[in-house]
Amino acid sequence: MNGGHKDYPDNSGIHARKAAGRRQRAALTFAEKLAALDALRARAAPIVRARKARERSRPPG
Amino acid sequence: MTLARTIEVVVRLSREGVIGNYAIAGAVAALNYIEPTFTEDLDILISVEAFENRQSGLLLLGPIEAGLARMGYTRRSDVGYEIEGWPVQFLPVASPLDEEALAQAVEIDLGDGITRARCLRAEHIVAIALKVGRPKDFARIESFLEHSAVDLRALNGVLERHNLMASWRAWCLKAGRKDALADERRT
Repeated sequence: MNGGHKDYPDNSGIHARKAAGRRQRAALTFAEKLAALDALRARAAPIVRARKARERSRPPG
Repeated sequence: MTLARTIEVVVRLSREGVIGNYAIAGAVAALNYIEPTFTEDLDILISVEAFENRQSGLLLLGPIEAGLARMGYTRRSDVGYEIEGWPVQFLPVASPLDEEALAQAVEIDLGDGITRARCLRAEHIVAIALKVGRPKDFARIESFLEHSAVDLRALNGVLERHNLMASWRAWCLKAGRKDALADERRT
């Protein structure tokens, strides 16, 4: 504590870098984005499978 | 098995006259304008003529199913037809907005320099997202605005033609955003 005043870190640089990353990804060609989606889907496949298994095992109603 | 191959099959269906006019819609269409976001399927907007229309008003996917079977795609799940590993949902035009979106779709390159596919315009993707109104649709609108990926004048026209201006204002209020179309309405 600093006399009731707390110093918080400045996250603006992190947010700016994240926004720059979003802009870079948005600027890819359609074909590059399609490939990115293929990769995203492959990486998320175990999570999707687990979610579906949970849904199946849930009692109806 | 890639999404590009899946789209190529849709292009073939159109060339062979199975689905007639079509356009990539949903998250994959948004991909043409903004950063990639996760999706589990490919939405294809098609005109109702592509469906088998029963007297009861029921639309059946018979012709599409037969066309896909001829190409060797026979698997179907709860989320659509499986084409090259991706579930594909064929959505019939269901409103004047859909109809306009399909008619004004643009052609995009699939990256091989040969295959071109039809894709919805940015303003129609945003208008449809506004109309559907799920949290992920609102996030998509946010992304289009962040990337300046939509022509505001064209969007203003679409929203006015399809009575979506009240929904737009409500969304701006909810999102805590200045109405980006206010200037367009004044000019």
